[in-house]
Amino acid sequence: MPQGTPLNEAQALDWLRQLEDPGQRYYAAWWLGRMRSRHPQAVPLLIQALAERGPRLDATSGIDEPNPVARNAARALGKLADSQAIAPLLEALESSDDGLREAAARSLGQLGALKARQPILRRLAPGPLVAGAPRPGTSRLMEPCEALLEALGGLGWQEEDGSTTTDREPLLAVVRAYGDHERPLIRSAAYRSLLQLTREDCWGEQLVKLLVHRELQVRRAALLDLGVTGWRPAGAAIAQTLAENSLKLIALRGLVENSPARNHTSPSPSPEEVELLLAMDDLL
Amino acid sequence: MPSTSPDSRQVQVQALVDAVQAAQTADDLTDAVEDLSACAHPMAVPCLIQVLGFNNPGAAVAAVDGLVAIGSAAVPAILANLDEYNYGARAWSVRALAGIGDLRGLPLLERALAQDIGPSVRRAAARGMGGLHPHGFTARQRQVLAERLLPQLKAACGDEEWIVRYAVAVGLEGMEHWWQPPAPQRQRLLDTLQPLADPRREAAPVVCLRARLALNRLTTTSSAACG
Repeated sequence: MPQGTPLNEAQALDWLRQLEDPGQRYYAAWWLGRMRSRHPQAVPLLIQALAERGPRLDATSGIDEPNPVARNAARALGKLADSQAIAPLLEALESSDDGLREAAARSLGQLGALKARQPILRRLAPGPLVAGAPRPGTSRLMEPCEALLEALGGLGWQEEDGSTTTDREPLLAVVRAYGDHERPLIRSAAYRSLLQLTREDCWGEQLVKLLVHRELQVRRAALLDLGVTGWRPAGAAIAQTLAENSLKLIALRGLVENSPARNHTSPSPSPEEVELLLAMDDLL
Repeated sequence: MPSTSPDSRQVQVQALVDAVQAAQTADDLTDAVEDLSACAHPMAVPCLIQVLGFNNPGAAVAAVDGLVAIGSAAVPAILANLDEYNYGARAWSVRALAGIGDLRGLPLLERALAQDIGPSVRRAAARGMGGLHPHGFTARQRQVLAERLLPQLKAACGDEEWIVRYAVAVGLEGMEHWWQPPAPQRQRLLDTLQPLADPRREAAPVVCLRARLALNRLTTTSSAACG
């Protein structure tokens, strides 16, 4: 972040409290999320900032997005693990600003907000040709599909009453449709979500195919998506992918830590984990 | 290739260098660098070092492999060509030096681990300290070298990036190979690893697992040596 970054928590809170300079509010929101502020005022101030609409920042700031303060507030609230943020984020998910919906969806996923499942599903339900259609004049889609798909995968099948969803097919059918989206990054998000929700190997195999995609950006996304799912059969393919070692290491860490096979009571790695660790050693 | 005369060998290497310079796409570049690296000829060194700065991970991996295969002969040129302003390139250079294990590269590894802003540079440096080849050193000299490195790796256990702490666990385990410490010294190695293996003190589970693996292996080899 550029020179306008707050120096400490007290200054960040002051910057967020004042209303004259949106640039200061923008950086203050970012700072509080990034530093995982635990100050009791942080979440209430961010919730207020989430309701702010406009104004665009000064051209010299280099930030050119609509509703910059609200978007950064949404991003920060996802990092602060406070359930007070869920209701206002659900409201932001209905905003006409798709970038704000994107930030809200990601944060609701990070907060494990089960109430977000149905509204997110409603956004995706029109399908890849409607919700996933290009937004005229931009490189974006009508809905922030990637964020919405990823949030669904992260939320899993737990219901608000503590039970587990039994009728899974309606949700899976919606997500599966995005596995045919024309953009590989959207397909990657759909496969990731399906792999998390079903643990079916076929979705992991689809992600592994994206590891040899000709665009580096797609290979990077598939690496991170595999890491999130913890799908261990991808270990060797990840190690071979043409991408930065830093990303491959993050992905392999994900296979070690996020796999359902991880035995949390054993301090020592299993033989399968040793193999992944040795693959990581080679990438250092 | 003993049947090839030195001159025709140079011609071959020059042709491979030319192919790297002529590559038009990222994939072509990676293929050409792999071919050049496979010959492991000192004449390839300047070209391989240049590739480290191209921001092409596939080609850079291949170039590092080539420099490591060339070994000590590549060290002076790597040290002379460090790019102060490109931390990607610097990380690859440190990786190459870490892979070669030549002691002339050690001051750079030490500076990188303590000060470099790039986590990828610090992690390569930490790993490299475990991969040194102090050829011809006496047990006393190896002990002195270990005394110099152990506090630096211990300090890096507090690095804010998990991957650097992971690399410290790997580096500490690797030190055993060149240090071959007597029993009381070996205990210092284990004590240094211990905090990384403790989930109450180490936040990243993967770092705990790697440190635990190092401890398991070090204690197995020591009991095998004793019994």
